[in-house]
Amino acid sequence: MHDRPTLGETLERQGVSRRGFLKFCVTTASLLALPPTAATAIAEALGQARRPSVIWLSFQECTGCTESLTRSFAPTLENLILETISLDYHHTLQAAAGEAAERAREEAMHANEGQYLVVVDGSLPGPGANPGYSTIAGISNLQMLEETLAGAAAVVAVGSCAAFGGLPMADPNPTGAVPVSKVVRDKPVINVSGCPPLPMVITGVLAHYLTFGRLPELDEYGRPLAFFGQSIHDRCYRRPFYDKGLFAETFDDEGAKKGWCLYRLGCKGPMAYNACATMKWNGGTSWPIESGHPCLGCSEPDFWDAGGFYRALSVPTGDIATTAAVGGLLGAAAGGAAVVKTRRAKADAISAHRPITAEELEQQL
Amino acid sequence: MSETAINSTTEPTVASFSLERGLQAWREEIDAPTAAFFSSCVHCGLCAQACPFFVETGDPKYTPIHKLEPLRRLWEREFTLWGKLKTRLGFSQPIDDALLEEWEPLLYDSCSMCGRCSMVCPVGNDIQYMIRKTREGMVASGHAPEGLIAASVRAVNTGSPMGLQWKTLDVQIKHVETASGLTVPIDQAGADYLVLLSSMEIINFPEYLEAIAKIFDHAEVSWTLSQECFEATNAGVQIGSKDIAAVLVQRVVDAAVKLGVKNVISPECGHAYTGIRWEGPNVIGRAYPFKVFHIIEVLDQLRADGRLRTEGMETDRLSMHDPCNLARKSGVIEQQRHLMKLVAENFIDMKEHGKYQWCCGAGGGVSSNERAEELKMAAFRRKKAQIEEIRPDRLVTMCATCRTQLEEGLEEYTMDIPVVGLTEMIAEHLVEGEPS
Repeated sequence: MHDRPTLGETLERQGVSRRGFLKFCVTTASLLALPPTAATAIAEALGQARRPSVIWLSFQECTGCTESLTRSFAPTLENLILETISLDYHHTLQAAAGEAAERAREEAMHANEGQYLVVVDGSLPGPGANPGYSTIAGISNLQMLEETLAGAAAVVAVGSCAAFGGLPMADPNPTGAVPVSKVVRDKPVINVSGCPPLPMVITGVLAHYLTFGRLPELDEYGRPLAFFGQSIHDRCYRRPFYDKGLFAETFDDEGAKKGWCLYRLGCKGPMAYNACATMKWNGGTSWPIESGHPCLGCSEPDFWDAGGFYRALSVPTGDIATTAAVGGLLGAAAGGAAVVKTRRAKADAISAHRPITAEELEQQL
Repeated sequence: MSETAINSTTEPTVASFSLERGLQAWREEIDAPTAAFFSSCVHCGLCAQACPFFVETGDPKYTPIHKLEPLRRLWEREFTLWGKLKTRLGFSQPIDDALLEEWEPLLYDSCSMCGRCSMVCPVGNDIQYMIRKTREGMVASGHAPEGLIAASVRAVNTGSPMGLQWKTLDVQIKHVETASGLTVPIDQAGADYLVLLSSMEIINFPEYLEAIAKIFDHAEVSWTLSQECFEATNAGVQIGSKDIAAVLVQRVVDAAVKLGVKNVISPECGHAYTGIRWEGPNVIGRAYPFKVFHIIEVLDQLRADGRLRTEGMETDRLSMHDPCNLARKSGVIEQQRHLMKLVAENFIDMKEHGKYQWCCGAGGGVSSNERAEELKMAAFRRKKAQIEEIRPDRLVTMCATCRTQLEEGLEEYTMDIPVVGLTEMIAEHLVEGEPS
């Protein structure tokens, strides 16, 4: 184990400059909403860290999560991470096959007993289900997960399938699929949900673990708060239209053309917690809402079964509605009054504007 | 200075700059983007890493977003509910002349408005745009640097921030005509292009005008200079006064309309280009009846149309400094490289180039501000490091301010690398003598 080179050494050999590395650390710190000083800590820790062993297990999944990680734009965080961890087992990426592949997994487990990270994408047929629905090398998913987990330090459930069951678990769940957290008992689990998850979120979690030796702060669904702390709605660039009550009613009406809010077309932004709105996809090119489609809420539990994708979020009923309506009205009135007042301040300033002239400036010389 | 300005009530005709006038200017400037930017800053500090003034000094006060503190305070105090509450309870920090005096060097001396901070901001805050807005209040409150005030006054009164008049340019025109044997067209109504210059080009780089005369003669482009307006640099944009900027932009518009030209060519001066092309229509409040191009865009179009026939190649190892106003702020990146390919066989780009290039450190009024000299040279160290990485024989650029800064900086750090203008280089390689 100790003959492994440190991350710093590995990066240097791969031609990543110190500056590039520090930039990566600063970006990671900012992505994780850590104070800028944490960048130094990350740099020190990562520079010293031995390449950690990672075993990546793929169960009932579509490989979208791996695609998300590997199809990101070079040279980015994702590549840095992929090059710095020792990815000892990964169905899609490894060259080995059959028994050799399984041997690699076992060797990695023995050599790094108690220290390796297990990354899982995909859900698996649960303990009560027929294990034959998904097997690898004749071993059922459940058995492989339990075996691999025995000596693991922590589990990262990547993607909504691993985190919450995802599509395999959607009604009527023919394979009896369960998320990873249903099976793991005595190890920390972190859910990096999303269908697929943002590549920077995956690497951010890994970097955090490597730096601080523990997983980042999690929300009630076991997701890293730094990335899942705010709703899509709160960070959406179409939010001003929502606030003004301007909605697209169909995909080709005037509102849609003008880029109005997609709430009525079924946008799940208000209940979806993820970082798409700020980090975007494909190297920051765009994200679903920017290309005109409502958010599906893919990072949320049971998003396949949470009503229709194109049906607007339901409005609460009963007393809650009345209370909310009254509160909302009062809030809107107060907010409206404040807006009117500040608008007036601005308008007053504009009408009181005295043009600056060269003569005036000259007085100052 | 502001003290006396506040007290000068005895002369009602002399308008005065005051703190209140500055605050009013900010109230005018605060808009939805400003509010969105201030509320979405996550204090990640990435803008600091992108700013040559911070990177080379290591002083946290040069963090770009920090430079906006006075405007942010006003916004918080008067435009947010929480800020209003805080003010009412006496928890808000004051905005007074002392604060503005402290911030003046941050807003003027240590910012070239190169926009690198805006580009890297993870939440999309356009910091450079807000620096421009904040400067409006600084001028109106009497906290603009003397160098820029003087430049603005000269620009309005004489037509040039360096105080040049047509007669000086006329002397240069005579030199060019003698040297090239060509006639420089003046006040030619109906020409295709009105060519504008910057004072820096007239004084420091007269070869630029000669190059244009040669190239346009070669490509048979109809062009003209205007006696009524020859200068396109805009000290109003730099000092941060839309009023002064509007006067200067209007001058260009009037001259172009009078001559009935279809196109106006901005000089090889970065901020003059963004000033006349992007900011101009906004400050005068209407669209132009003509198009604005940078000379590099025009040359690249001529190249694409097959109207530039060149011979011979530069064999030196050449590299290029992209002016931020051109590359980062206007997307003119490929054009200059096409032109380089035409005449240079050994061209190498710096590691960070195009929209990612590092600023030379002199733009945005920094070079007109004597107090900023030391900082300007400090910021140049980033450029120097970039140059040292690739060790070119010569540097090519297309902005008079960048060029002056590069020359001064390289001399300061005793690096023997000549700097050339791209337009001149193209002119040197024209096929001579045969009509096109």
